[in-house]
Amino acid sequence: MSRRRIVALFRRVVSEIRRDRPSLALLFIAPIVITGLVTFILRESQAPQVTAVVVNLAGPRGLAVGNALEAALRTDGATVSDVADEAAARAAIADKAASVGIVLRPGAASGGSLDVTVITNGLDPSGDVAQVSAIQRSVLAAATAATGTAIPAVNHATVYGTPTDDPVTTFAPAIVAFFAYFFVYILTGVSFLRERTGGTLERLMATPVTRGEVVLGYTLGFGLFATIQVAVLLLWALGSLHVGALGPLPAFSIGLGISASGSPILAFLVVVLLAVGAVSLGIFLSTFARTELQIIQFIPIVLAPQFLLSGVLFPVSSLPSILQPLVAIMPLNYAVDGLRQVFIRGADLGVPALQLDLAVLGIVAAFFATIAALTIRRDVV
Amino acid sequence: MALHVEPDLDGAGPPPAIRAHGLVKSFGTLRAVDDVTFDLAPGRIYGLLGPNGSGKTTLIRLLTGLTVPTAGWAEVLGTRMPSRPNLGRIGYMTQTDGVYTALTVSENLHFFGAVYGVDGGEPVEHALGIVDLAGRRSSIVGTLSGGQRRRLSLACALIHRPPVLFLDEPTVGVDPLLRVQFWAHFRALTDAGTTIVVSSHVMDEADRCDELLFVRSGTIIARGTGQEIRVQAGTADLEQAFLRLGGNVEVTR
Repeated sequence: MSRRRIVALFRRVVSEIRRDRPSLALLFIAPIVITGLVTFILRESQAPQVTAVVVNLAGPRGLAVGNALEAALRTDGATVSDVADEAAARAAIADKAASVGIVLRPGAASGGSLDVTVITNGLDPSGDVAQVSAIQRSVLAAATAATGTAIPAVNHATVYGTPTDDPVTTFAPAIVAFFAYFFVYILTGVSFLRERTGGTLERLMATPVTRGEVVLGYTLGFGLFATIQVAVLLLWALGSLHVGALGPLPAFSIGLGISASGSPILAFLVVVLLAVGAVSLGIFLSTFARTELQIIQFIPIVLAPQFLLSGVLFPVSSLPSILQPLVAIMPLNYAVDGLRQVFIRGADLGVPALQLDLAVLGIVAAFFATIAALTIRRDVV
Repeated sequence: MALHVEPDLDGAGPPPAIRAHGLVKSFGTLRAVDDVTFDLAPGRIYGLLGPNGSGKTTLIRLLTGLTVPTAGWAEVLGTRMPSRPNLGRIGYMTQTDGVYTALTVSENLHFFGAVYGVDGGEPVEHALGIVDLAGRRSSIVGTLSGGQRRRLSLACALIHRPPVLFLDEPTVGVDPLLRVQFWAHFRALTDAGTTIVVSSHVMDEADRCDELLFVRSGTIIARGTGQEIRVQAGTADLEQAFLRLGGNVEVTR
């Protein structure tokens, strides 16, 4: 290994990226825009509006319950009206005049019980769930009012951090890790493919440069940009710089202001290890690509499973058991878990779970660096 | 059918700069280089001449150690190839330009200089002067013409002043005036002791070489000075000579 040659390779990679404005935008602006948008959507999503139509098929008893239910729904902010039969309720939902229908029928069991059927449009499962739970809430409130019994208040406490209803807290670590992985992979893969197809790798291999030096130079070059990217993303995710009102501009804050209890340095370490692995993965996969399009075509094969199986969208513990062995071999999974350990649990280096995450990420980075070096064959043809 | 040119064993001349012995490179059933043996003396320009696909590039890649022979061996400056340290004494101008198009002319030269262990401005200025690109040193390579890139590619191969130089079709896309300058410079290099192997399929460049090796289907079908080959083939035209010696092969001009 020659330090001089590694530095030369590093500087060359840096000069190339520095001049490549679209790549810089991909590295620094795209993640900020996307995380900002996701945060905005998650935080500001509007509560579902309930417009209910009630059908009473249970006579006077149904009327009493129906009135109590309607009163509770109105208290909850819903709009309520009565219709004659179920067909009318279904028509109202089909016409979007109503979001939900409530049908009261005599219960199957004796004793004057009632059955409540909730009808939704069935096109939007999560919206339907929100409608049904709004009705359940009102049924509970109506029952409380009718019986005069107070329902016990449910309070929430957490083992790690403080209870928060900010959905971004668990999502942010995952999205930071995913972006670091995704963009570094794309940039390295395309850049190294150019090296292979542009004849510069051939020329480089005709110099005293070793394969290890090439991988190290690339890792340092792209690692530098990945490091800056992660630093910028973490600042953006954790920061909340308040900007006061100025003239017609209202006050606003820069940064997503996600609460994190652990050390940002540790979070940084997790993502840098992940990014180093992504550099080598890009070099390795560029062996199998002939065109830049093919680097993109590897995304569904290589990155999509990691996205699905690493707790970015779905919690790992909720995944089917048959997929759990796959989860265990996804590098991204360890980065997402590591970041959550740091952000949410406030883990330090003494926490075994974080130690495992860092160790696996380090081993994966070393493994891919080795096979990347092996794929830079002298015998290219 | 290979023409074996046996090494000069009387020990009179200097040791050969480049040696090939029974070199074979197969890709599946295709023998791209088929039993090539020769010794090339230092300080001379050797022309590898042959049609496209005759195995010239593969032969150069075997001599530089970029590909491993199926059989036989190659030696450069007394060292068996492939040898990474020995690559520091070899310059290789690839058939594709092999330069970084996002970097400037001088950044490319500084990079290859550093890779060969010759940092700093002096080697870069020297190389820029040879290829007459000093005025474009700050230009991004992507904005250069094809001929200018070819010149930069040559400069990158010369930056470390190697004693052995392999040039794979160096004058493609280079205008006639500059081509004359290239050859003048090649001659100046060999006068200083450099050994140059130039591949070409352009016969009118052949007479500038000290010695020609005609390549066909991976074998050397004739070797000698332009004059010797003309006499051997009984024709005044090298192109005709090639056709007569190699059989009915179409030569691209």
